[in-house]
Formats: sequence, structure tokens, C-alpha cells
Amino acid sequence: MSIYTLIPLLPLGAAFTVALFGQRLQGVGHRIVIPAVAGSFFVSIAAFVDVLENGTIEVSLYRLLDVGSLVVDLGFFIDSLTVLLLLLVTGVSTVVQVYSSRYMIGDARHSRFFAVTALFTAAMTILVMSSNLLLTFIFWEVMGLCSYLLISHYAERRSAYRAATKVFLVNSIADVGLLIGVILTYHAFGTLNIPEILSMAKAGVDIPTHVITALTLCLFAGAIGKSAQMPAHVWLPLAMEAPTPVSALIHAATMVNAGPFLLVRLSPVIVLSPTAMTVIAAIGAVTALFAAIVSLTQTDVKRTLAYSTISQLGFMTLLCGVGAFVAAIFHLLAHGFFKAFLFLSTGNILAATHRHVETPGEEPPGSQGAIFAGALLLSVLPPLVIFSGPYRHLWLSQNFSAANIALWIIGLGTVFFTAMTIAKTATSVFRKGPPGASDGNARVMPTLFSVKHVVGVLLALGALVSLLLLVWSWLAVFLSPSVGVASEVAAAPSSGFSAWILLPIAIGIAGWAVAYAGTGRRRSAETEWKKRLYVFFLNKGYFDEIYDVYIVRPTIALAGWLWRVIDQGIIDRFIVSLGPASVNVSRWLWKVVDLGLIDRLVVAVGSRSVGVAQRMDVFGRGRTAKNAERVGRALDVSGRTPQAFQPRTLQHDLLIVVFWLAVALGFFYWIA
Amino acid sequence: MSAIFADHLLSWMIAVPFIGIAALAIVRGRSGIVITALVTTLVEALLALRLWIGFDSAEKGMQYVERMEWMPTFGIQYAVGVDGISILLVLLTAVLCPLCVLASWNSITTRVRAFMMLILLVEGAMMVVFTALDAFLFFMLWEVTMIPMYFMIVLWGGPDRVAAGLKFVLYSLTGSLFLLVGILGLSLQADTFDIQSLAGAAYSPESQLWIFVALFLGFAIKLPMLPFHTWLPDAHSEAPTAGSVLLAGVLLKMGGYGLIRFCLPIFPEVSSQFAPFVLWLSIAAILYGGYMALAQSDLKRLVAYSSVSHMGFVTLGIFSFNSEGIEGAILQMVTHGITTGALFLMVGQLYDRTHSRSMADYGGLHKRMPRFVAVLSLFVVASFGLPATSNFIGEFLILVGVSYEHFIFVVLAMGGIVLGAAYMLWMLQRVALGEPRTEAARGLTDLSVREMITVIPLAIAVFGIGVYPGPFLEAMDSTVLFVVEQFEQAGLAITTPE
Repeated sequence: MSIYTLIPLLPLGAAFTVALFGQRLQGVGHRIVIPAVAGSFFVSIAAFVDVLENGTIEVSLYRLLDVGSLVVDLGFFIDSLTVLLLLLVTGVSTVVQVYSSRYMIGDARHSRFFAVTALFTAAMTILVMSSNLLLTFIFWEVMGLCSYLLISHYAERRSAYRAATKVFLVNSIADVGLLIGVILTYHAFGTLNIPEILSMAKAGVDIPTHVITALTLCLFAGAIGKSAQMPAHVWLPLAMEAPTPVSALIHAATMVNAGPFLLVRLSPVIVLSPTAMTVIAAIGAVTALFAAIVSLTQTDVKRTLAYSTISQLGFMTLLCGVGAFVAAIFHLLAHGFFKAFLFLSTGNILAATHRHVETPGEEPPGSQGAIFAGALLLSVLPPLVIFSGPYRHLWLSQNFSAANIALWIIGLGTVFFTAMTIAKTATSVFRKGPPGASDGNARVMPTLFSVKHVVGVLLALGALVSLLLLVWSWLAVFLSPSVGVASEVAAAPSSGFSAWILLPIAIGIAGWAVAYAGTGRRRSAETEWKKRLYVFFLNKGYFDEIYDVYIVRPTIALAGWLWRVIDQGIIDRFIVSLGPASVNVSRWLWKVVDLGLIDRLVVAVGSRSVGVAQRMDVFGRGRTAKNAERVGRALDVSGRTPQAFQPRTLQHDLLIVVFWLAVALGFFYWIA
Repeated sequence: MSAIFADHLLSWMIAVPFIGIAALAIVRGRSGIVITALVTTLVEALLALRLWIGFDSAEKGMQYVERMEWMPTFGIQYAVGVDGISILLVLLTAVLCPLCVLASWNSITTRVRAFMMLILLVEGAMMVVFTALDAFLFFMLWEVTMIPMYFMIVLWGGPDRVAAGLKFVLYSLTGSLFLLVGILGLSLQADTFDIQSLAGAAYSPESQLWIFVALFLGFAIKLPMLPFHTWLPDAHSEAPTAGSVLLAGVLLKMGGYGLIRFCLPIFPEVSSQFAPFVLWLSIAAILYGGYMALAQSDLKRLVAYSSVSHMGFVTLGIFSFNSEGIEGAILQMVTHGITTGALFLMVGQLYDRTHSRSMADYGGLHKRMPRFVAVLSLFVVASFGLPATSNFIGEFLILVGVSYEHFIFVVLAMGGIVLGAAYMLWMLQRVALGEPRTEAARGLTDLSVREMITVIPLAIAVFGIGVYPGPFLEAMDSTVLFVVEQFEQAGLAITTPE
């Protein structure tokens, strides 16, 4: 047992304590959870220092399964990738828990909230530390359960509990892919131990490429679900039904990152299959662009942020797909921290504005607005490193294919639309003055964007980009042992700044400018196709409706049809009709054979006997005759007995039993 | 004294329920009756615990064996013993019965004495079925289990109880006849009723097929496999709570147990010939059961159809002929007994309050019954195999086992897991979340201490086995390996990943 087992155990213990004694501790659950999560954060820092100095740490726990040739040993595998994620998860958790302790005051389900969030923190830390794919899968699902429980927090609200069920189901479909991927990996590598798999993959295993492609794509299906990539992205906006701290913690900063994390964790395997890489990049790119445009059209702050999260997750997936794993993690960390912060700062504003962008309430303080805009910017800025020096040959290498150009354009397009979204959200939320005043042609100019501010923002931007590049070049060295190398990408991580980075920044500024120019302008002059396009994206591409009409309803209808027609109508009716059928067979036997044949025969024999007896009487009038008569009568009686056999329930049963017994005996006789 | 006790532990376990029945005949007063029944079942559970502690996991053969001549003319013995296949099912039976007594504490208002006697009768009979080493003994007590179940359904059941009871009996009798034919066929050819000797005996090739089919049909109807399942929703939904728990928790397992005890070791070749057919039938049952459950509006029928789906996993595991699959199947049987038993107990707790099984009559229970909803959620997630529950371990092992056969089975069986999540979560949503839909649902009271005691041990078991399944799998390991080796030696099964 290592001290690092405390990282999940502290929040886990807190979760169980609060869950079990929650009703007695009403309203003070956070006093147990916050220290536990903070403690876990401090242990994570210790782990970080340890890894920085001594390299990878392995902790083995116990043997979960040892059946046949399947052996599953649970343990932790803490390397540079893991510690960074640990810092993110426990750090954000601590901040969010402190925030929630105020946000959740007076909530009817206070203890439940803290118990589940603590359980979530434990699950996510185990997930990132797991040294076994099965353990990863287990806590992947546990995180999903926590998400479900938190989305249904306001359980009396119809939209909340319906969203919770839908979110879980979308994820469980994707997780089928993940579990199949886990079993495929076991078949391909003969083990589920992650360090072993990674070293095998790095050493070059003799596994056919199509197997690697299949298992990678199956694992990626899980990532599509958890990280809300298309076509499973519909769940993340629904998840905004959860209390805002949860949106910050789970649905923006931590859990949704599990997808890119998994891809980077298994990067040495993934890079063995160019096909899988292409698919990953394509899905990431499409998601990034689509979600960026949709987020531009949404009117609800939380939903805008949700789509912006999807877009950024798409960007991370794209980075993984093109082999820029370090950049993906860099983006993941930065996005995680800043998005959490963004959601928390939104939390207060949302209370005032009732979640709607178009109805600003009290004028928020300028400083808060600036922080808001800054956080939003920072959360989307880091992917720009992809355009800086080390990665330029991703786009401009000798195999400068059409696909690469497409990805490049999509990446830049995402930057453009994201910048527009930032500008729009910021200007809308912090527009000065009540909406009623902005009638006619009066344009309301947000004070935030005076010239002074713009210059300030640009300067800050320059400084930040330099800082980011600096942090990034350190990160590239630190992470390099953990990630697979697709091409010569990570070979020269320190080449730093290049002029290429100016391109996305320029495009971003252009996007900002377009949005700014459009502020307050009326939409009446727009053409028909523009309106249609707008409506299309406003409705999020109609994904929810398509799923509802083509998947959910047909499934329920099929279930109902199968039950009524097949189960009740055919199988059950057939079986039930066997009862009356056997009764009919018995009745037929009774009438035709018993009454018609045997009975008649017996009666005939009986009366004959009587006749014989009488005749014998003529001869001998002895005992013989009387006896014969007696036998005849007796036979007569026994022959008639079945007539009294009315078909009542019990007799039905007996008849059926006798019938089957006869069948069975015949069968038995035949085989013997 | 202790020698008498220790050497005859299994006989004691078989005797205790019958002693309890005798005691029930004398005891007077309602509370006396239920307490006697509870004490009997608890003593049985303690004996089972003693059995488990003394069980040697390394031993592949039978343990605690007791033999006595019974009908020497026919070579019929009273012979009992446990091995890795039966020990967990014995434990399961012993754990569920006290909970059944507790669940019937207030809900059975008429003829309590008779009801408790029937519970004990089922328990005693099940103990013999799971421990019998003699095929005749096995069959006799197999038949005995049917009678108390029939009376439970017909005398204490729901509104449609007579039809349900009749259907149950007809199906069971049909199954038993096939089973009788199979067992007689076996013993005539092998000239013994001893189950262990049956496996090594020589059977003529043409009779093998027919005996296998007869045995298989007998077990398949009890399990139940598609398309012999229609007795199950009726019997489960009309039976009183304790009846449903015993049916789903223990009685169905006789089918799976029979397959592992008879079909596999005695006829490995025929089993592997039939395997593709059975595997496809299992997949059909998994998906079909899931769809059926999705269409239900009655809580008990939903749980009943989910059993069809889960039993599909059991046959899927058994007919993959490797340690992973078979151990997964046994674990799945145990774990299904626990989870489904618990779900029936909880539905029964609702039924006791409102006398309605329809989901439409509930809703919003989280407000008035937070404890109930918390515990129900645990079993709901367990039922669709959420990781960290024992159900997941069972299903995962089965999936790994069947993946050696063909990957298509894994992919299709996954569909059942998704359907499971769908119908279970929709059930939870309709019952527990939102606003109460009826006046009755508004005035409910939360679980009492007795009711909590009824379900909490099961929750602990589900998560305990899920997190640390080691001892339970270890207990089966050598015995299952013994069965699997036959298939390996005959080259009938693949047991390692490619």
C-alpha cells in the first residue's frame, strides 16, 4: 500500500460517510468532503514531485480476477500524464467543492450532492491512475453514474430527470464500444495491464493492423461518448440540467476529458493504426467546427458554454488524431482549469440573468466581466500551439495531402467561430443598460470593448501566448515518455515560436471583429438561406429530433409490438392453446376410443356374458353362471365409469398429465 | 456431538427446514409462527456459513459427502455433497430464505402457518436439489419444489393467480417429464443413478443425442430459455413477494445448475454440437427479454422479463465451455438471484403499501421515500450490470468466455446490456423521479427498519462480490476447471485468447 492510494480513498471515504450519515449531517456534508478532496490534492502534488524526480510510480492493489487465462490485477500506474490529470481533477474538485459549499446552502438534497461529487472525484482519480483497462472501464462507468445522479439532482423537474436518463443511455451505448474494445485488446495483447500493453506496443508487436484498427476504434467509441463527440454530442447540453458547480466540475473540466485522456494514455497503440488515427482526426475536426458554429447561435449561456466545451473537446480529439498528443494534453489542462473557472464565475451571473443571454439584469462589475472574457479566451487559446513551430510539418510535410489541408482549414475555422462566440457571449452578458433602452437604431456599445480595452487585451494576449509557449515547451519534455510518437512530431519540442502562430491569432481577431461589428445590428436584412442556416444551427443540427424519431421511438414501438404480437399473440397463445388442445385430444380419446370402442366392447362383452350365463343357466344353473354374470356386471360398471368424468379443472390437469406421461413413456420405450 | 454435527453438516442443512416445518405445526399464534420460521431459516443460514468456512477451494471433487443406501434394488442412494458448482447456490438459497420470511412478515395475512411451511419446504427441497449426488434423489426433490410454489401462487397470489398457477404447473410438469425421461435414459444405459459415475459411463451414440435433448428441454423450461419463458412473467407477477423471490432467486437456478451438472460433463460431444444453436438462442433470449421488459408497465412483469434476458447470459456462458464462461454463468446465477430477489422484495414493499404493481401509479417517490429510492437505485444499477457490482463481474466473465467462440456473440449480447440500462432507468424514472402521479403515491411512508434489514444484506453482497469477487471465483475454480478439461482434452473448446 502506497501513500498514493489516499488520492482516491480520501474522497471515497468522505463520499461514503456523507452518504450513510447524510440525513443526520444535513447541511454540513461539505465540511467532510472539502478537507478530503483538498487532502487528495496535496497528495497529488506530492505525487507530482515524486514523478518529476523519480519517474513512473507503480502501485499494485489486489487481484480482481483470476479465471482461466484471464488475470486482472488492479493497481495504479502514475506517470507524467497521470500526475498532470490528477492535479487538474483534484485541484478543480477542491475549488468547486469550496464554491458549492456556498452555492448549495439550503438545498434539499445537500448531502446527496456532496456525497456524489466526492464519489466522482474518487472515480476520476482512479480512472487516470488505473494500470488496468478493466479498472479504467469500471470507473469510466462509475463516473457516468455520478453524472446521472447529479443531472437528476432536481429530481422533481421533468426536464432534469429526462435529461439524466437520456445522458446515461447515450453514454451506455458508447460504452458498449469501449467494453468491446477492452475485450478485443485482451485478445490482441493477451493482457489488460496498461504498462504491459504500452511497452508491447512501443516494442512493436506482431499484431495485424486491422486488429489494432478495430480495437482502437472500439475504444474510441467510448471516448466519443464520454467526451461528447459527434454523433454522441447531444448529451452534454442536456447535462446542463445539473447544478452549475457540477457543470463546471464534471461537464466541462474533468469527466469529459476522459476521452482525450484515454487516447493519449493508449497513444503508443493508437499510432500503430493510421486508419484509426484518420477517423479520430476526422470526427474531432467535424465536432470542433460544428459545435463552434452551434455555440454561436445558442441563446442560453450554459448551453453556449456546453457547445463551446464540445468544440474544444473536438479540438483535443483532432490533436490526438493528427498525433499531437502533447498539445492535446496541454489543451486539456488549460481548458479544464479555465472552463471550470468560467462556469463558476457564470454561476453568479446566471442567478441574476436567469440563464438567458438576451436578458441582462444588474450591470456586472467591469472587473468581473474582464475576468470572464479572459477565462473564456484562455480556455480556447491553447490549441493555437498546434500552429506553432514543432507542429507545422503536420500540415506542411511532404505528404501534404488534401485531408491535412481540410483538417487545417477546419481547425482555423473553429478558431474563427470560437472567437466570434467569445465576443458575442461577452458582449451580450455584459451589455450595459437594460434591454428596453436599446430600441430603434440605438446601438448599445459594451464598455468592455473600448479602444483602451482592446489594446490591453491584445497586449495581454501577446504575453499569454508567449507564456503558454514557454509552459508548453516544458510540458512537451515532461510528457514525452508517456505518449506514443506518431511521426517526428515530438522529436523537436523546443523549437518554440514561429510565425505560423500569427495566422490563427489573426483569424481569431478577425472573428472577434466580425462579431463585434454585428453587435446590436438587426437581422432583418438577411437572406433566406442565411436564415435557414441559422435556424439549422440554432436547432443544433436537429440531432436530438433525428435520434428521437429514428432510434428511440422505433425501439419502444418495436418492444411493444414484439410483446403484443410475438410474446402474447404467438408464443403464449400457442403454449396456452396446448392446454385446451390436450383436453380436446383427451375428450376425443374419451368419446371415440373410450366410449365408442372400449366401453361398447366391454358392454357388449358384459351383456354377452350375461347372455352366456343365462344360457348356461339353462344347462347347469350352477355357480359358473352367477360368477360370469358378476364379472359381466363389474366390467359393465368399470366400463361406464368414465362417463362420470366431467371435464373440470383438476381433471383437465390430470388428463394432460396422463397424456404427456403416455407420450413420455412411448419416447422412453423407443430410446431404451 | 460435534462429530455428528460436523460429519453430517449437509444432512443437518437438509433436515433443519423439515424440523422447522414440524415445529410450525405445533407453535401457536401468529408471532410464534413467523419467529419460528425466521429462526429456522437463520439457523440454516448459519449452517451454510459453517459450510462455506469449511469448504476447501483447492479440492475439485465433492466435499461433505454422505452416502446411505436407500433403494438398493434399483441402486438408488441417499447421497449428498457439495463442490465448487453447488456451494454458491446453496449459500444463495440459505441467504434468501430468511429474507423471504421477513418480507412476508406483514404482507401475508391469511394462513400464515401454511405459508411459512411452504417457504421452508422449498428451502429444504432446494438444498437437496443442489447437493444431491444421486440422480433419482435430484429428480424427486426437483419435483417437490413445484408443489409449494404452486400453492403459494394459487392461494396467496394476485388477481390472476389461478391461471398463472396452472400455467406454472403445466410448464413445470412438461419439463419434469422430459427430465424424467432423460434421467431414466441415463441410468438405464449407465446402470447407476450416481451422478458422478454417470459422467464416465458409455452411452450408445444415438441415445446420447436423445437423452441430451430430453435433459436439455427439462432444464431449459425451468431456466427458462426462449421460447419456453411465458410461464415466468405470469408466475412471477401473480406470486406473493416471497414466492417471486424464491422463484427468481432460487428456482430458476435449478435449470442452469442442471445444465452444468448433467449436460456438460456427461455429454461433452453432444453439448458442443448443440453449442451454436444454444448460443444463438441465448442471444435471442437476451435481446428478446430486454425488448419485452421495455414494453411492460407492470413492475413485476418488467423484472420478470429482465430475468429472461439475464438467464440468456447464463446459457451463453455455460455453452462457451471455458472457465471464464462457466464461472461467469455461475456467478451470474448467484448475482441474479440476489439482485432480482432484491428487486422483487422492493416491488413487494411498494405493493404492500398501495396494492398496485403498475408503474403509472407511482412517481416522485424520492420525496416521501428517500431511503427506498436510494436502495432501489443500487439494485437498478446492479441489475443492468454497472461495474463494481457483482453483475458486472458475471457478465464480463461471460463475455470474455464467449469471445473465444466468436466475437459476434459479444457484440450482440452488449445490446442486451444497453436495453437493460434503458428499461431499468426508465423504470426508475417513472417510479422514483418527478412528481407523484396518484394520491396514494403522495402519502407513502419510507422503509421501516424491518424492511431495510430485508434488503441491505443483499446490497452489501452485490457490491462486496463486485469489488472483491476473488474468494467466490476461487471456490468454483478447481471444480469448473475439472469440467472444462474434458472439453479441452477432446479439443472441443478454445480456452485461451488467440
